[in-house]
Amino acid sequence: MGILLFITVLLISACGLIYELVAGTLASYLLGDSVLQFSTIIGCYLFAMGIGSALSRYIDRGLAYRFVWIELLLGVVGGFSSALLFLAFAYSQGFEFLMYTLVIVIGVLVGLEIPLLMRIVRDRYQFRDVVAHVLTFDYLGALGASLLFPILLVPHLGLVRSAMVFGILNAAVALWSTFIFANQMARTAVLRFFCVIVLAALCTGLAEAKHITQAAEDNIYADEIIFARDTHYQHIVLTRFKDDIRLFLNSHLQFSSRDEYRYHEALIHPGLSAIAAPRRVLVLGGGDGLAVREILKYPQVESITLVDLDPEMTRLFSTNPMLTGLNQKSFLSPKVHVINDDAFPWLDSDAESFDFIVIDFPDPTNYSLGKLYTTAFYKAVARHLSEQGLMVVQSTSPMFARDSYWCIAETIKQAGMLTYPYHVYVPSFGEWGFVLAGHHEYTRPATLPAGLRFVDLKGLPALFQFPPDMAPLSMPPNRLNDQVLVHLYDQDWKDISH
Amino acid sequence: MTVSRRSFIQSAGFSLAGLSMKTEPRISGSFVNESFQQGHMLRDRAVFAAPKRIEKIPVVIVGGGIAGLSAAWRLQKRGFRDFVLLEMCDQAGGNSRWGENEITAYPWAAHYVPVPGRKAVYVRELFEDLGVLKDGKWEERHLCFSPQERLFLFGRWQEGIEPAVGLTQSDRDQFRRFEDQIHAFRATGKFTVPMEVGLADDTSSLDRISFADWLGEQRMDSHILHWYLNYCCRDDYGAMTDQTSAWAGIQYFASREPDEKGPLTWPEGNGWIVRRLLERVGSFVRTSQMVHKIVQNGSVLKVFAGDTEYRPEMVIFAAPTFLAPYLIEGVARLHSFEYSPWLTANLTLEHLPKNYGGDPTWDSVFMESPTLGYVDATHQTLRTHVDRTVWTFYWALAEGSPSQNRQMLLSSDWNHWKEAILHDLERVHPDIRQCVSRIDIMRMGHAMARPTVGSIFSPERRRLTELHGRILFANSDLSGFSIFEEAQYRGIVAAEHVLNRLSGSDCLQLHSLPSRGTSE
Repeated sequence: MGILLFITVLLISACGLIYELVAGTLASYLLGDSVLQFSTIIGCYLFAMGIGSALSRYIDRGLAYRFVWIELLLGVVGGFSSALLFLAFAYSQGFEFLMYTLVIVIGVLVGLEIPLLMRIVRDRYQFRDVVAHVLTFDYLGALGASLLFPILLVPHLGLVRSAMVFGILNAAVALWSTFIFANQMARTAVLRFFCVIVLAALCTGLAEAKHITQAAEDNIYADEIIFARDTHYQHIVLTRFKDDIRLFLNSHLQFSSRDEYRYHEALIHPGLSAIAAPRRVLVLGGGDGLAVREILKYPQVESITLVDLDPEMTRLFSTNPMLTGLNQKSFLSPKVHVINDDAFPWLDSDAESFDFIVIDFPDPTNYSLGKLYTTAFYKAVARHLSEQGLMVVQSTSPMFARDSYWCIAETIKQAGMLTYPYHVYVPSFGEWGFVLAGHHEYTRPATLPAGLRFVDLKGLPALFQFPPDMAPLSMPPNRLNDQVLVHLYDQDWKDISH
Repeated sequence: MTVSRRSFIQSAGFSLAGLSMKTEPRISGSFVNESFQQGHMLRDRAVFAAPKRIEKIPVVIVGGGIAGLSAAWRLQKRGFRDFVLLEMCDQAGGNSRWGENEITAYPWAAHYVPVPGRKAVYVRELFEDLGVLKDGKWEERHLCFSPQERLFLFGRWQEGIEPAVGLTQSDRDQFRRFEDQIHAFRATGKFTVPMEVGLADDTSSLDRISFADWLGEQRMDSHILHWYLNYCCRDDYGAMTDQTSAWAGIQYFASREPDEKGPLTWPEGNGWIVRRLLERVGSFVRTSQMVHKIVQNGSVLKVFAGDTEYRPEMVIFAAPTFLAPYLIEGVARLHSFEYSPWLTANLTLEHLPKNYGGDPTWDSVFMESPTLGYVDATHQTLRTHVDRTVWTFYWALAEGSPSQNRQMLLSSDWNHWKEAILHDLERVHPDIRQCVSRIDIMRMGHAMARPTVGSIFSPERRRLTELHGRILFANSDLSGFSIFEEAQYRGIVAAEHVLNRLSGSDCLQLHSLPSRGTSE
């Protein structure tokens, strides 16, 4: 009897801490700023526990009966909290409101537990023993939970199922409390009936958890998040599913390690191979080093200058072994010079000229990024292009964002260059488009570097052919004072998703 | 469940301490660029020290605002270098002055020039000179970037300042009728920038009623249309529609036909133009030189400033014309010139408000506010990422009498105006106090001329615009209202007149004089 009682204390203590850790971790994952999230969640939770403890004095009859109900409620609310929060984040605007509501409800219930339990058992032990034993096991349970959570639960069960497992434990405590305190309560049959129902619901939830997280994370990230960081400039997320590593910047997919070679070979080789003696190359954006990896396949290239805004990004792709495995340590080459600066002002302040310029920016989703797709920007780029040089621009999808693609092509043309649009199929992206441009006519290359997996001489002409559903459209240019591209892009993707 | 409660409480305590420090940031700042004390010395006929030296120089320009600097630019461009420009403040620029901090340059007043139409010949010539207009095309980076303007109304933001959401059918009809009217006025070619080019006597009846009365005659009573037109009049004239000549109200809309999406703007506003002008004529400019007396005695013209008595052949009086009776002996009080008091503030923001709402926009206006909203000084940056910024907040004290407003402007302390500004911004950005670290405020008692009823066709105004005698008036207020193009036009016209006059009999003698531009 005694040991069972104290195991009960240990378990309920562990459950309470797990729900709190789940909320804190989820909020840190999804909202970033983990210090703020953990601090506010712990604060709310402790405060709510205080409310629960204060409320306990108003319960004066049927202590054991009510204790069982509290455990059942905790099992349901705590057990489903993580699943609910994932779904709320994916499908609603009310994530934070729901999160704090749940934290407060759980906190109040947890705050009620220990005072009630101590009063239930006070007739069986001396007061000082009750306090000593209950608190000892309370602390022990929390220690166990805090160790289990990062080591076993999160890596192996994930947040949704961890919460459910502990929900089941809470419900199980409720069920066996109906046995150990049977002499202190009435209507035990009804209680046991509800316990079974809650347990069944939680077990079903556990079995279905995979579907729940999938439904929720389909809207966020499909795979396990292995790295998430809020840098000064963006939200970097890396996910992995088996051997597929994906990079998301501000929730936009940048590459999938399974097929990025298609994208990066197509970005670099049709242009760079067509230049007779490329010596100096400039990359704007491309902080993942994957474009640089392709450029390093040209031994005659003497220097590669890469300008990327985010130092965290270039540092990550210079140091993380998994990522340097992807870019083949391209940033460690002595030919590569990394400059962390905003591309447009950098172009204005620099006077160097380059034989090949790669422009690989995020899509023009807002007016700030839209500045990097204007006639003014391409004119600034053109000033850095050597006489026989070429530039290539990542230009979104000519299939899904056809208006945007042809708007970018028109913008480059209006900046005074000859343009050569082409496209490629990248499974994780779909049809993707680029625009090659220069001061002179472009002739396709006669040779390519050895060892390419996608781009070959035979297939090159086909890249420049656009089937009717991606064929050129007459579009206005995108200008600093009239950024039509942001509207077009917005409309293009709205049309796709409806 | 008491586990590690102590450390929980500690961490919670720290986070609370951190939060409480964040909730009450100190906002510093002060009044800046105060110049009314100097003006009041003139008003109160203070006694100035006798000059210590006499300087003979063919032309003196009084006032280093856009009119004076444009006159200087014209003289210099035509190869004439025998002149000085005397500026009262320690910085030239007048209403186009600017400031700069570690984040960005920012304007103190005028912050844009609408894309000039074909009739604004001198403005186009200036912009060609400055590289803003090349081969008939406007250089993109000098045009206001997207998104340009937004209006907060009915609890939300809309793109553009002309109200487009929440309009009833009647509102829409009235907006459309107003546009039709403006279109017809524009077609007459009598409403132009500069105004003198198109000004025709058969439009004088419009100058005899207020804009508000004219709207009444047109049966335009839409509240939302009236708000919009009042906003426009406050913005360009510092006055409400019931104190603005209908002619001027119509001029605001009918004079502009931009062929490009604008306006032209820079981080420091029109201070950018001043900077470029100073690169060209800065050597002729003498700052902190307040002219306190101009005397014409027979054939001798004397200009007193600081410790120097200038003896010019001609004076271009480019300072606000209302100062003339206080400065020039024998000039009577001017009755048809009224001026609006203004307040501008530059707010340093450590970060944007949480509910900023959409992409950073150049100009943000709130409906039903007595203020004119704010302009973002970092909007014209080529950067894609901006953390800190400066907002220039504009407030024309348009309602009520200008003299009472001037009194209120000068008698209320910095704290009063700081709170008034924050209250206005809080209606739209509730957490603005958490974002702002500094508010500097500039008070201008006579910021711009008001085109009151009858002022445009007043004989007094028209007489002063006629260039004769040896003292030529050149301030923008001669046009009845203070905008960049009018100031530039008046300055250039005066300079041309000076050149014509001096190229007569005295020409050879003048050009044989040593250049005095850089000598002291």
